[in-house]
Amino acid sequence: MKYLYSILAFFTLLSCSKEVDDAFYKAYVPAKVDINGGSWKTFIVASPTDVAISFPKLVTDAAYLKEIDSLKTIVIPGLTAAQKKAIDYWGAGAVLRWNEIGRELAARYNVPPASNAAGVYPVPNAADPLADPKFPFANPPYTARALAYLSIAQYDALVAAWKYKYQYNRKAPSEVDAAIKPLLPSTGIPAYPSEEAVVAQASYVILLAMFPGEGPFLKEKLAEAKNSVIWAAKNVGSDVDAGASLGAGVAAKVMARAKTDGMSTANNQAIVPDLIARSTSLGFVNPWKSQESPVRPPMLPNYGAVSTINFDRKTLESIRPVIPYLENTAEFKKDLAELNDIQKNQTREQAAIANYWADGPGSYTPPGHWHRYACDAGVAAKFSELRMARMLAYVGSALMDAGIACWETKYYYYSPRPQQFGLKTSVGLPNFPSYTSGHSTFSYAAATVLSSFFPENSAKYYGYAQEASDSRVYGLIHFRVDCQMGGQHGRVIGDFAVKRANADGAQ
Amino acid sequence: MPHDGIYMNKKLACGALIYGNSSWTNYWENQLFRENQNIGRLTTESMTAMLAYGITKKINVIAVVPYVRTNASQGNLLGQKGFQDASIWLKAKAYSTHGLSLHGVIGFSTPISNYVPDFMPMSIGLGAKSLITRGIITYDLPKHLYVNGSIAYQMRSKVKADRDAYLSGDKMYQTSQVAVPDAFDAALRIGYLKKDNQLELFVETFSCTKGDDIRRNDMPFMTNDMTMTTVGVYGKYQPKHLGVNAKVSYVVDGQNVGQSLGLSLGLLYIINL
Repeated sequence: MKYLYSILAFFTLLSCSKEVDDAFYKAYVPAKVDINGGSWKTFIVASPTDVAISFPKLVTDAAYLKEIDSLKTIVIPGLTAAQKKAIDYWGAGAVLRWNEIGRELAARYNVPPASNAAGVYPVPNAADPLADPKFPFANPPYTARALAYLSIAQYDALVAAWKYKYQYNRKAPSEVDAAIKPLLPSTGIPAYPSEEAVVAQASYVILLAMFPGEGPFLKEKLAEAKNSVIWAAKNVGSDVDAGASLGAGVAAKVMARAKTDGMSTANNQAIVPDLIARSTSLGFVNPWKSQESPVRPPMLPNYGAVSTINFDRKTLESIRPVIPYLENTAEFKKDLAELNDIQKNQTREQAAIANYWADGPGSYTPPGHWHRYACDAGVAAKFSELRMARMLAYVGSALMDAGIACWETKYYYYSPRPQQFGLKTSVGLPNFPSYTSGHSTFSYAAATVLSSFFPENSAKYYGYAQEASDSRVYGLIHFRVDCQMGGQHGRVIGDFAVKRANADGAQ
Repeated sequence: MPHDGIYMNKKLACGALIYGNSSWTNYWENQLFRENQNIGRLTTESMTAMLAYGITKKINVIAVVPYVRTNASQGNLLGQKGFQDASIWLKAKAYSTHGLSLHGVIGFSTPISNYVPDFMPMSIGLGAKSLITRGIITYDLPKHLYVNGSIAYQMRSKVKADRDAYLSGDKMYQTSQVAVPDAFDAALRIGYLKKDNQLELFVETFSCTKGDDIRRNDMPFMTNDMTMTTVGVYGKYQPKHLGVNAKVSYVVDGQNVGQSLGLSLGLLYIINL
């Protein structure tokens, strides 16, 4: 019997240790409040006052005092455990949490459609998003764009919020009534409109447009996010309502841009014969061919036509990487030999790097990976919601531009994958042309922006970018030249975001 | 592993070298039974070294070391190979009367090479350490026939994946730690055993205690709730020191697993120490 007990105790011990150490964030007081944040240059709304909100009630007004009273007599005494949990969760940061939600949705929707019985790959249908295949297929360009608009909407809406906050200067409930003890740190930032509500509503609008099948899920998150600041006695209801209205108004303007940016024709397969003809005329003996069975149409062949954020079309064409080595050159043979050698002698470390950065189906893609690093850096620097959104808007727009410019390059050359020369892969083969490497372009663009925001960590970010770039050689799906040229391209793309950031008045 | 009621006598050891070949063309993506033209037939071959030793005639210790390699007949996924999970088992006859006997088995298994666990279905294993406890009941029937029932609980550890984030169900985990779900297995066998020669029919079920399902058209992952029912036949012929064994098994139903056909052939050698 004694033995039985020891065995049971041992089992219990092991079962308890089964919790995984997931990322943990908690609320902090922002390092800077940025009183002049309302004058920073926005991305899409022309001016921070483009979306109007009503003049707040004074803190001496009876209606306002009733809201304060409700915090004291109803909200605080009635707090449930679930509400406290929600306060802790959302208190870590509205921009941070909505970015995480965006990434989680991207991961959930990042699976290529299955072929049907006729050997055809049905195209995801935005009007029927939950049918098989689900809409969207949140591949790297799709995710880069979705997260970019998310961050831009958050940033533009927060600039507007800051404008109104310091214009109206309505204090937080705990500053109005000392009897109120908020459950989140006091920031000293005026409470009207609520920055958390601004972010929640703007994020909801963007994410619902990007993931139209997720209405019920997003609605629940929205309600909880908005309520959490009231439960925490950080805001009264009218702070939240004004924030929600401002967030919705700004996000609608951002979505107006998104709807006309060319994404709707990004998967235009009719242009493919012309692309192949150009590739041949440029000297490619074996233009790219899908290696999947049944043959899958190339992913987003016209995504390169989507409007970039930080530079124009002419610039995009002028910075396009030059033609890569053609098949019969010594340089090409050298790159191919490197891959054949790795296939034979791949080290465990090379496999680990390839897997770490693979960010393939079921993941939040490389753009998501870099958004996560950016969020972590913003948290470490104790960025306010405004500063966090600003940094993510530049990282995000650079990633979106990187996706567009890289896809334009890929389909300009339509170059073959190593698998067309007999190689296998230890990470899975993406279904689009090889040159240049998306991972390299995304990663160097993001590293360039992050290095500008966090110069002390520059070496770390460029180190990550180089590793992400190498990972595609180690995984055997890119030639070395794809990665080198993609990385250089990414730096140039990132520089445009940095230049813009340096001129937005926030420095 | 050990699920029989057969023991090596005291100071007797049996070494075995077993070749295994398990393959599938169809698999259950969640509950959807499908093929995948970008995998074709996925074959897992193994070479396993095994040693059983009689501490007493009622207590045996068994050690197992497998080398595994995988290959897909179509598509471009790179096959994986390496030493997989070594295990050590202690088996004891706890009670025996009138042809009925009860046995307990406890085993521990751990990866002995740093293989990639999160490149399924090409990975050679799940990467988890396991602690397995099994109860066995056997009953001798007339004419050298027997029935054998067994049930086991497999406690499985967390695993460090190469990636630093993954989905399990609808939740994104931002960590490289992956909790591989625990599992149950149970089996019923009926067979003929005379001296060291044996022929047996069996049905086995395996199921995880929890876990998520493979998403539509996605790859499997270590968190999946795998279940399967396997039927098979096993035979052993051991006229003297040298013997052979063979097994054929087939998965008749499952979820988040391949419909494997397994074949194995082993060479056995008994040593008197």
